[in-house]
Amino acid sequence: MSERKTPRLLLGLIAVAIIASAAFYLVPSDNTKASEALDNAKSSQKLQSLAELDGKAPASRKLDVQTWNTAEGAKVLFVEARELPMFDMRLIFSAGSSQDGNAPGLALLTNAMLNEGVAGKDVGAIAQGFEGLGADFGNGAYKDMAIASLRSLSAADKREPALKLFSEVVGKPTFPADSFARIKNQMLAGFEYQKQNPGKLASLELMKRLYGDHPYAHASDGNAQSVPKITLAQLREFHAKAYAAGNVVIALVGDLSRSEAEAIANQVSAALPKGPALAKVEQPIEPKAGIGHIEFPSKQTNLMIAQLGIDRDDPDYAALSMGNQILGGGGFGTRLMSEVREKRGLTYGVYSAFSPMQARGPFMINLQTRAEMSEGTLKLVQDVLADYLKTGPTQKELDDAKRELAGSFPLSTASNADIVGQLGAMGFYNLPLNYLDDFMRQSQSLTVEQVRDVLNKHLSTDKLVIVSAGPTVPQKPLPAPSDKPAEQPLGVPEH
Amino acid sequence: MNALARRAAGLLLSTVCLPLSALAADPQPTHEFTLDNGLKVVVREDHRAPVVVSQVWYKVGSSYETPGQTGLSHALEHMMFKGSEKVGPGEASLILRDLGAEENAFTSDDFTAYYQVLARDRLGVAFELEADRMANLRLPADEFAKEIEVIKEERRLRTDDKPMAKAFERYKAMAYPASGYHTPTIGWMADLERMKVEELRHWYQSWYVPNNATLVVVGDVTPDEVKTLAQRYFGPIPKRDVPPAKKPLELAEPGERQITLHVQTQLPSLMLGFNVPSIATAEDKRSVNALRLISALLDGGYSGRIPTQLERGEELVSGGSSSYDAYTRGDSLFTLSATPNTQKKKTMAQAEAGLWKLLEQLKTTAPSAEELERVRAQVIAGLVFERDSITSQATAIGQLETVGLSWKLMDTELADLESVTPQDIQNAAKLYFTRERLSVAHVLPLETTHE
Repeated sequence: MSERKTPRLLLGLIAVAIIASAAFYLVPSDNTKASEALDNAKSSQKLQSLAELDGKAPASRKLDVQTWNTAEGAKVLFVEARELPMFDMRLIFSAGSSQDGNAPGLALLTNAMLNEGVAGKDVGAIAQGFEGLGADFGNGAYKDMAIASLRSLSAADKREPALKLFSEVVGKPTFPADSFARIKNQMLAGFEYQKQNPGKLASLELMKRLYGDHPYAHASDGNAQSVPKITLAQLREFHAKAYAAGNVVIALVGDLSRSEAEAIANQVSAALPKGPALAKVEQPIEPKAGIGHIEFPSKQTNLMIAQLGIDRDDPDYAALSMGNQILGGGGFGTRLMSEVREKRGLTYGVYSAFSPMQARGPFMINLQTRAEMSEGTLKLVQDVLADYLKTGPTQKELDDAKRELAGSFPLSTASNADIVGQLGAMGFYNLPLNYLDDFMRQSQSLTVEQVRDVLNKHLSTDKLVIVSAGPTVPQKPLPAPSDKPAEQPLGVPEH
Repeated sequence: MNALARRAAGLLLSTVCLPLSALAADPQPTHEFTLDNGLKVVVREDHRAPVVVSQVWYKVGSSYETPGQTGLSHALEHMMFKGSEKVGPGEASLILRDLGAEENAFTSDDFTAYYQVLARDRLGVAFELEADRMANLRLPADEFAKEIEVIKEERRLRTDDKPMAKAFERYKAMAYPASGYHTPTIGWMADLERMKVEELRHWYQSWYVPNNATLVVVGDVTPDEVKTLAQRYFGPIPKRDVPPAKKPLELAEPGERQITLHVQTQLPSLMLGFNVPSIATAEDKRSVNALRLISALLDGGYSGRIPTQLERGEELVSGGSSSYDAYTRGDSLFTLSATPNTQKKKTMAQAEAGLWKLLEQLKTTAPSAEELERVRAQVIAGLVFERDSITSQATAIGQLETVGLSWKLMDTELADLESVTPQDIQNAAKLYFTRERLSVAHVLPLETTHE
């Protein structure tokens, strides 16, 4: 469920009053690459400010990450940040939908029910409790993780009651039956909505084909058949084992001393059921390569091209991440964007990504294109990938990607909210405390050959699992590549 | 939608997490100065991380547009990425990306704003690019010819094909009979069809001048260095007179209006809106602050009256909300919306009656001290939480300045809200929640047209 539980119908409505244009995503490109733009701008000396930059990587916020385990076995990561009188806490349980067993939706329902009742308080009283202190409670469940979070003022008169209530909510929820019925109803309404969304349908089908019998195959919210069958007894049982102190990482950032942080972690940890970490999800087996199609009466065809990628511990992550950035991870100037969008106007955006998880997560390329061009576009994407695997990035592409990464790095730890997110991921995936710096160092030292070899180690055009969703229409040949494509692509990117 | 726009949308909506500054903590040092050419600069120091956000806000948006020329402000925003004297079309974006910066722009009824978030040593690049397009935009005709097609497609996909967006556009057009607020920011399709690049050039020359803009910088900077950089890049741009900008004023009591729309949706929904003033137009600020408290009582979190009474209690609606933007340049609207709980077979009429019951309650019964205290706690915490994001801080400052208020209003917010009495709330409810001020929109699935 969403981090913010109150439905906000009007949020969507009022959002249209402000039109955030991604005008620069819409540039019918003259095939300029970012780096060339920068080089040209520098060499022509038109921008004084650029000429004055010293070319050094910018500084970023120094993080002193502290870690320890509570008596009950919860792992804690903490960064002291005294500038603002507030703190953020995020509990990450290994309690995502990969732990659903034969009840798809169980993990998400359990998570969504945490704040629906505790001893002596119904859902309204819990909401009043947090909101009366000005505190924000959040929750959510995904494939690997289930999250419960708290943001509160750090003053003791706010912090202490907020923590007390939070501890009850995560540790001793009562799972009332009336709330259970209401939330199930909301989920069933959501499944009805999904039927109108070809992108969602394609992604459900893709995960099925990619993962077969593996727990990653099903959607975290389950389906219209599985959800009605789930019982409160199943929720209680799931909570007792998956919300155990040994199965959680506690990330803490904010206006707290080390001893205050320890006391908070102890309090939360002690409130949780006792128990060990759950076994890690097993690795999926290689899927059968092939193409699946979902017939849908849309103007555009959704294309998803995937294979199994890597898990979060993989030592090749930095190199793959860099390699992907050049293939299709950024915006303009990536290999895919240049060939599919800039030279041929076939799509507004085409992106590729690795999603490393506890077990091997997907590598995926996705795009939407005009239905009558979908077959040609799919072939083009496959050709771009094959060519890239063969040659690897150019030295220039690699240098540029390194510079961009170095420049954006300080933005990734700028706020407490950013930091608590980083700590959570580091703790959950057992990454070392100096992970962020290591990642930067590794990325900056990569060679063209390393990137190419690692890409070929993990990706192969023979292994692609492909799903399309759209109408069946007579196909047209692709336009020839050009600096000025004649036709504008349909669609507007969601930025 | 990007994060900033989401945030900005949230600002418009939110009555609780107001863009206020600190209480529980020392306020962050904030400085303002004006260059000789009239460019107002507001700098807030936030030294937690070596990053900075730079935003340029222009006092122009769709409420400034006249019939036949709707959509100009938004189209101009797109064209601001199509080259200026020092850079070609799209080039500035590529330069910024290569430096690891985030950038984008947004347009609304009252403003057009551009921003960059970047490592602190690169602020000069953001200023130089922004200054260049403030003074020397190219507006090439061939780029415009392509871009207007993109904008038309954007309208089709984001408004015409999005049932709720389309419904909201039509509702707004009805709810604001007298002011420019009835104009959709993206523009009517007929106007996009006949828009000329010359009109954009005129729009640009009229409004894009330093004396009609506010530069907001938040992050790891000192006011002195910002002043030096701002003077260097923006200082040479000449001042120019701008057309008179009149506040969008509405009829106080236009009369009851209703619109029924059939759109491609699965669930029906409804909106109730009342014509009300904003902070900028109200003679009696207490009534405006009372409206803000009312919105917080109705919809301030999961313990608000709409979630408690209508969503969970009677299960009349599957979702509902209230919204009141007090920070507009002209008169405003107080809007309630709801989706009947179709799983429980609830009808539009029942949902509408449920909303009215809440409004009548406000007229007759004073809120409890506990309820008011809860709202107060959320406001105070919101002030602090807001400061975790430099972008949120800059957006709050920019919006206040651009609608003709001062960023310093942030400092008096809490006191203003606390001065509202239970009697003020009842008075405001009685004054404003009347049929004469009401606009109703019923949004229904297409099938019902066959009835």
